[in-house]
Amino acid sequence: MQETIENKVGDLLSFIMKNSLWQFNSRGWDRRKQSEGVLTKVSELLCDEPVSKETPADKCYYAEAQCVVDGFNKNFPWLKDLSKDEIKALIHQLHERLDYQTIDASLNAELTVKNY
Amino acid sequence: MSCQLKVKERDGVINPIFTCQPAGAQFASIGVKDCIGIVHGGQGCVMFVRLLISQHFKESFEIASSSVHEDGAVFGATNRVEEAVDVLLSRYPDVKVIPIITTCSTEIIGDDIDGVINKLEDELLAEKFAGREVHLVPVHTPSFVGSMISGYDVAVLAFVKKFAKKSEPTDKINVITGWVNPGDVTEIKSILKDMDIDATVLFEIESFDAPIMPTGNSVGHGETTIQDLQGTANAKGTIVLNRYEGGKAATFLEKKFKVPSVVSQTPIGIRNTDSFVHNLKEMTGKPIPESLVYKRGVALDAIADISHMFLAEKRVAIYGAPDMVIGLAEFCLDLEMKPVLLLLGDDNGGYAKDPRIKALQENVDYDMEIVTNADFWELENRIKNEGLELDLILGHSKGRFISMEYNIPMVRVGFPTFDRAGLYNYPIVGYGGAKWLAEQMANALFTDMEYKKNKEWLLNVW
Amino acid sequence: MPLHEFDCSKVIPERKQHAVVKGREEDLTSCLPKGYLNTIPGSISERGCAYCGAKHVIGTPMKDVIHISHGPVGCTYDTWQTKRYLSDNNNFQLKYTFASDVKEKHIVFGADKLLKSNIIDAFKAFPDIKRMTVYQTCATALIGDDIEAICDDVMEEMPDVDIFVCNSPGFAGPSQSAGHHKINIAWVNNKVGTVEPEITSDYVINYVGEYNIQGDQEIMQDYFKRMGIQILSTFTGNGSYDDLRGMHRAHLNVLECARSAEYICDELRARYGIPRMDIDGFGFKALAGSLKKIGLFFGIEDRAQAIIDEEVARWQPELDWYKERLKGKKLCLWPGGSKLWHWAHTLEEDLGIRIVSVYTKFGHQGDMEKGISRCSEGALAIDDPNELETLEVMEKLKPDLILTGKRPGEVAKKVRVPYLNAHAYHNGPYKGFEGWVRFARDIYNAIYSPLHQLAFTDISKDDFATDKGFMTRRMISDVDLDDEVKNNTELREYTGGFDSVSKLHDREYPEFESQSAPAAAE
Repeated sequence: MQETIENKVGDLLSFIMKNSLWQFNSRGWDRRKQSEGVLTKVSELLCDEPVSKETPADKCYYAEAQCVVDGFNKNFPWLKDLSKDEIKALIHQLHERLDYQTIDASLNAELTVKNY
Repeated sequence: MSCQLKVKERDGVINPIFTCQPAGAQFASIGVKDCIGIVHGGQGCVMFVRLLISQHFKESFEIASSSVHEDGAVFGATNRVEEAVDVLLSRYPDVKVIPIITTCSTEIIGDDIDGVINKLEDELLAEKFAGREVHLVPVHTPSFVGSMISGYDVAVLAFVKKFAKKSEPTDKINVITGWVNPGDVTEIKSILKDMDIDATVLFEIESFDAPIMPTGNSVGHGETTIQDLQGTANAKGTIVLNRYEGGKAATFLEKKFKVPSVVSQTPIGIRNTDSFVHNLKEMTGKPIPESLVYKRGVALDAIADISHMFLAEKRVAIYGAPDMVIGLAEFCLDLEMKPVLLLLGDDNGGYAKDPRIKALQENVDYDMEIVTNADFWELENRIKNEGLELDLILGHSKGRFISMEYNIPMVRVGFPTFDRAGLYNYPIVGYGGAKWLAEQMANALFTDMEYKKNKEWLLNVW
Repeated sequence: MPLHEFDCSKVIPERKQHAVVKGREEDLTSCLPKGYLNTIPGSISERGCAYCGAKHVIGTPMKDVIHISHGPVGCTYDTWQTKRYLSDNNNFQLKYTFASDVKEKHIVFGADKLLKSNIIDAFKAFPDIKRMTVYQTCATALIGDDIEAICDDVMEEMPDVDIFVCNSPGFAGPSQSAGHHKINIAWVNNKVGTVEPEITSDYVINYVGEYNIQGDQEIMQDYFKRMGIQILSTFTGNGSYDDLRGMHRAHLNVLECARSAEYICDELRARYGIPRMDIDGFGFKALAGSLKKIGLFFGIEDRAQAIIDEEVARWQPELDWYKERLKGKKLCLWPGGSKLWHWAHTLEEDLGIRIVSVYTKFGHQGDMEKGISRCSEGALAIDDPNELETLEVMEKLKPDLILTGKRPGEVAKKVRVPYLNAHAYHNGPYKGFEGWVRFARDIYNAIYSPLHQLAFTDISKDDFATDKGFMTRRMISDVDLDDEVKNNTELREYTGGFDSVSKLHDREYPEFESQSAPAAAE
């Protein structure tokens, strides 16, 4: 079962890596904000929870998140069989793996450059 | 009624006619066999020149950069040259000649290229590449001096200076073509062949038009060899077709090795080609053969059909390389046309003393202006704001928008001519070139008459 | 790390760090080449300089500006008439270029007076143009002219003009990318916020990292206008100098070429709180997603969807005609920077093409992250390639097509690989739905050129057919095609004309009711 979840997270991650661009901001601190912002809203949208669109940043995360969710729903029909808790756990793992791959274990030497 | 020689009054340039010296040196370098130049400066100085040359020829030529970055600009960058030579030699086993071509940046920071070459010869070449024939040639072409034209001149001198070596005198002559097209070289060689003259042609660039071969990669490159360059010291004489593109090397050979030189009239048009073959005859003692009389006749015959009927009185502006511009102006006069504006794109002080320009000043019987250090605004401003009327423009492709904007027909000549296909195949020199040029000018005027419906019916019975 | 070592580069071992093969189990933590490091001298790299990145790539597409380079004339000449970025003011910036024409005496005695008289002469020659950018070059950076002081002087004397100074000499960094960076930062530091723009819509964007190659910007502008979005400025294709001074008032920065323009978006986000949204203007699926995303931001996704539906209905049958004939073709995607990720997955998804290699000549590791993520397994990813390496790859991978620049394209031609111009395009624009069909058409025409086949025949050795006087592309492309596809009447070849842009100029756009009173900029 554990392996299946890992595979599923892997599929979701691949989808994002292939289709999205928001995870590739040029600096590590921005990447962390982006993934936090977008994936929080992905989780909320998938769980039919209210999504804040108050600030410009929120609106942007929401727009990105909605596109991710549309893609997820289209490509991964198994998502709708999951409970809210399962979804949250899944996206949590996704978030961790995304941050690991694009920030913490990234080979990109420019992520820590101090200015833009 | 006079011909005035003037220098552009403005300091700056609005739409340049020429690029800078290193471009000329790079063009010369690709004419040498087994040669890849290293341009010592920023990468753009190479990348754009390679692009420019490939725009003109639809071919790619190999030229390297020393890739000077910020640290080099601050602390000196001779180490970049050392590394570049090593890397280039290590990866290109056929390379024998490496000109080190300087730019504005490396001249300003004062990198000692000649010193680096000595060092490389003593160390890298003697040790790592011992037993391999390699020649490093310093070429000083700061971009803030002269233009692409003088850069070419400087580079030809640098090559000749490096290699020319006195041994047994030969029956050969040196023909320094200047910055021309493969089609011009073919025409010159055909004249030499007709006269049975054995010549070293600098540079041998006929093969610039490389084919697509079923066997795989074929890269366009020059065919002038080290031996050709060495032999220039032993020739009977040197003929320079373009005074400003090879004159320096001829003078050097004359002073150093007593090889007499003739700075020929640039052989554009019938009359100038006559002078050229006359000079060949004088230098070699070979007669002018019947075959050239015939080719000349063919050209005269073609021109007779168009000159006084269509070309006469047509007002022309000409820009580009100085020798070419002067040659074209002279030919236009022979064709009964009126070159009214000649633009020379750099500030060479020698133009005022050029006998051809003096002759124009003394003999032209209508208003003609010759502007040196000129840019395209000298042409466009006269058309747009000063009422200059033109029937034709002769020049390279960078002036294409003036032709389009003001509806003036244009014949592409010189370098670069990237907005027309295949022009590098056709000569503008020799009898063949005279014929081709006259016909091109006529055809441009014909097309214009048809587009503008301006007496287009004239051609019904021509 | 699945590093790739080129035979031709064994003698420069550091090159090994600059190429990787994307393997089955690899992700970005194990598969990423080094990037944006100093170039190896003498390697015959394809890189340009920082001046070119600033002036030629980003500066010059600004349309209502006198672009003047302070230095010897070559830099100016070389960066003039080698691009296809258009503008709707009769291409002023494409036709006119200016240089202070620094000569030896100025190197010795200073060139500041020269620059000043030049600036004044240039404004005199074009009295309708009141904006100027002055670009430093290697020579004037080294002699240390204070360009800002000179320009301040002129602006004091001529109050109706405004001048922007860009200090990005050619040597300032590993490649043209350093120039992108410098001009981004200089613009946001010195010009953004100096004009208050008129806001005419509830939905206001800056369109950033878009250079209007063959009309790309105008294609995208058309979609935005149909959605009722106000494009406050375009950075910089077909962009207006004063519009770009008002960038700080946009609600959203829509970013295409992050390679060349993410810096200004990041700065605008940090300084003015304007979000950065990266989009893809290329490809059907990717573009549709991008339009939808912009719509979602403003709550007008229905407008985006309407456009997507209309465009897809119009163009999908034409795209699919090409897809059927391009499926499985092998392609090297060798652009400068951003197209390596803009095009990698879209070419695969929309046209079934397989990307066998990606490269970037001036990109950073960030571009490679995106490119490697988006291309398929087995692709060879190369940073800062050089001439011998590209030849080696072409011989080895035998691609059906290469997307690269004009001069490298000439190299490809000689090894009998057709090429399309990835920078300037062949017959673009390639953005937009119709544009993507034009791209597919160009790819098809290149791969199935009847004469291309003949390049492989050695008439001195091989047997060859003499029974045909001609071949059409279809005679070649349709040989192995199913009858079902061949006879499919739904699919069709591209039906747009030679010029797909001019028709937009007369287009009328819907007026949407504003939710808020047209806000005077605060």
